[in-house]
Amino acid sequence: MAQKIKIDPITRIEGHLAIEVEIENGVVKDAWSSGTMARGFEALLTGKDPRDASYVTSRFCGVCYSVHQMASARCLDAAFGAKVPWGGTLIRNLVMAAEFIYDHALHFYQLSALDYIDIMAIAEYKGKDKDLLAIKDKIIALVQSKDTYPLTPRYKPDEYCVKDPDLVITAVKHYIDALKMHAEARNMGAIWGGRTPHYQNIVVGGVTSYPDINQVARFRTMLDKQAKFINEVYIPDVMTFGTGPLLPLAKAGIGGGHYNYLAYGAFEKDPSGKNLVFPSGVVIGLNPADIKVQKFDPEKITESVKYAWYKENKPVHPYNGEQIFNLDKKEAYSFVKAPRYDGYPMEVGPLARMIIAKNPTLLDLVSKGVKPGAVARHAARAIETKIIVDAAYEWLDQLQTEMTKPGFKIHDTEHWDPPANGMGAGFFEPPRGALGHWIKIKDKKIENYQAVVPSTWNASPRCEKGVRGQYEESLIGAPVPDPDNPINVVRIIRSFDPCLACAIHIIDPQTNEIKKFTIA
Amino acid sequence: MKKPVISKEIEGFLELKGVSRRDFLKYCAATAAIFGISEFDFTSKVVHAMETASKKPPVIWLEGQDCAGCTISFLGVMYPPVISVILDKISLRYHETAMVASGEMAEHALHETIKAGGYVLIVEGSVPSADDRYCMIGGKPFRKTLEEAASKAGAIIAVGSCATYGGIPGATVTKGIGLDKALPGKTVINLPTCPVHPDRVAGTILYFLTTGKVPELDKLGRPVMYYGDLIHDNCRRRAHFDAGRFLNDWNDPKQKDWCLFQKGCKGPMTNADCPVRRWNDGINFCIDCGAPCNGCAEPGFYAEMTPIYTAESETSKKIYALRKNGHFNREKA
Repeated sequence: MAQKIKIDPITRIEGHLAIEVEIENGVVKDAWSSGTMARGFEALLTGKDPRDASYVTSRFCGVCYSVHQMASARCLDAAFGAKVPWGGTLIRNLVMAAEFIYDHALHFYQLSALDYIDIMAIAEYKGKDKDLLAIKDKIIALVQSKDTYPLTPRYKPDEYCVKDPDLVITAVKHYIDALKMHAEARNMGAIWGGRTPHYQNIVVGGVTSYPDINQVARFRTMLDKQAKFINEVYIPDVMTFGTGPLLPLAKAGIGGGHYNYLAYGAFEKDPSGKNLVFPSGVVIGLNPADIKVQKFDPEKITESVKYAWYKENKPVHPYNGEQIFNLDKKEAYSFVKAPRYDGYPMEVGPLARMIIAKNPTLLDLVSKGVKPGAVARHAARAIETKIIVDAAYEWLDQLQTEMTKPGFKIHDTEHWDPPANGMGAGFFEPPRGALGHWIKIKDKKIENYQAVVPSTWNASPRCEKGVRGQYEESLIGAPVPDPDNPINVVRIIRSFDPCLACAIHIIDPQTNEIKKFTIA
Repeated sequence: MKKPVISKEIEGFLELKGVSRRDFLKYCAATAAIFGISEFDFTSKVVHAMETASKKPPVIWLEGQDCAGCTISFLGVMYPPVISVILDKISLRYHETAMVASGEMAEHALHETIKAGGYVLIVEGSVPSADDRYCMIGGKPFRKTLEEAASKAGAIIAVGSCATYGGIPGATVTKGIGLDKALPGKTVINLPTCPVHPDRVAGTILYFLTTGKVPELDKLGRPVMYYGDLIHDNCRRRAHFDAGRFLNDWNDPKQKDWCLFQKGCKGPMTNADCPVRRWNDGINFCIDCGAPCNGCAEPGFYAEMTPIYTAESETSKKIYALRKNGHFNREKA
């Protein structure tokens, strides 16, 4: 007998998301993902000075801040005909590397880890470590004072939850350490970004922040500290959990979905712009033993609005997309549009990037039985954090050399003024996955602006053919033995690192059901 | 000078949070200076408040049409460390981005706290005034949840440009409004800027816990201690503004520190302590990275600040006119 449950809101994500699942015989049989908030930024941009776009779109999201600034600046670069000097690209890459480092650590510790550990196991810690004992005392004091917010209430720990007191208390210590580390990673980005969230320095044609040698030294010192935390704490934690207590969950492969992956590619290694840290590509129907990567063709992207609260339209390329709301549409259940690549729903993000790059560390985990799913997503995220750290060191070295050359430039000032007419696309790979911005300029003003963001791909509702989005598909078959305790549902959803303020099509998160989020 | 007494317990706890006794005293001294009270007096009061706060004040943090940027910004507060704010100074009952609970469980915690009343309500994000359905949480219009929560709150703090005066969503078809319009007649402490500065949130909470009072507010509801001065009056590029040296080319090391007015800077009409407080633990702020101030601490943000990067906005035109008639001359000020 099927039973429907709705979880609204899904917390510990960016934005407002509701998930509804139908459960039969203890497993998810069907699922609906619905973005429940809209702001209408894209429509707002029509008629504005095109240069405003990078500033405004940064505000799509304050968690993965400035990734939109970056994609937007790139679509403006294309439309203005601006050529970003290598010095400008290096600074863009470095501040985005800082954003990456902060964001992945935040996601693992602050937003996800609590789904995998039974925090109350701390009370059983018998060790003698002074720092860990202090944490134990703290948690016990909170329990005794009968005020354990915001650690409770929570879903009941299930059989997959880590209950080993030593592992749990260490994870909690790392949770606390990570809070400080990712604040410091944000500070590192502010050296050129000006401040965070929302950098100020990325504009069409390059950056505004003329670097000095002390800033390079400061960035390097701070990067050393981040690298140490990532290599000695974050990666070992993910690997310990993923191949240890969470291996059964990883082998069960919960949260797999469609097994279609897309990466636009990003982060230039050299001025040619051809060698990328994250390669672009497309995989349809993954076979881990024989990964076939197709070339990415931007013309194959379309967006369907059949089940979204927008004026009915056939699936169109983002250049021709609209953002006209229709809140009364009967069949709609989300503010998120349904993007498709060549008609297929895709997963974007760390797992997609590492599969497309055929990353040996990830493939090694897969050979040990970690199926591409929720646990593998966390592993891919940790693996690529190290890749970005290593790249950042190379960019720093290059910047240090570059800035001592005569005629060093950070900005294409020749192309600062908007063209009378033009169009351009900008692609980037933020922490959450493939991001694209598209602009059309007419009479020096924005005529149309559209963004297809990572969580639009992942959180997409059904398309006009009724095919589920990736979140929805990844929930099918997930074990939910107790409908009052749908912990696997939130584990799967959080493994994608949802970012709904932007996903919701930049600005249109979803919802609309005035239905109660009751257990029906 | 008499030394403030810090108990072993508090010292041990600060240490756990990675704060030395010296850092803590330094923080207290800096805060005391802002409040204009003696360091000893303030430190003793903070210590007292920390020691006696056996029942932590409940806090509800609501997110409407937001990007969570203010939440992330707040997580960056260093002194005191955010973990100590969350676990020791307040009882955070509801916060979509931070809390462990989801769905019905989360909503239940919210409703129980509202029922009891007397909490501090912090709001991030605007309220869509065009149609409630642009922001629904827990199956309910965000506006309704906000009104319920506001009716029994002990104090209300709006964080960021969106929650204070509408911000960028205010210029969209959803017509986002801030608490000034969404909760008419209520006293709201406004902490604008996009995003909010973490010190200003922690400092306002700490001020409230220490004194039991709302800090002195200007006519726009902003604490005078953070928004008393114009950005322009503390800007290190000010002399270039006065001399008419405006940056035109970001590549030119000679122009590197010139005034950003031609690049759209709204500092002459924006009130905030960014140039002295700075951001990200003092590392930088907008103007120091070569980018213009966008006026995000003012109610006119974003509609009166666009275009962002030229001197053609409504605000820039006003600045230009004022400069022409000598309004910004130092002798007059």
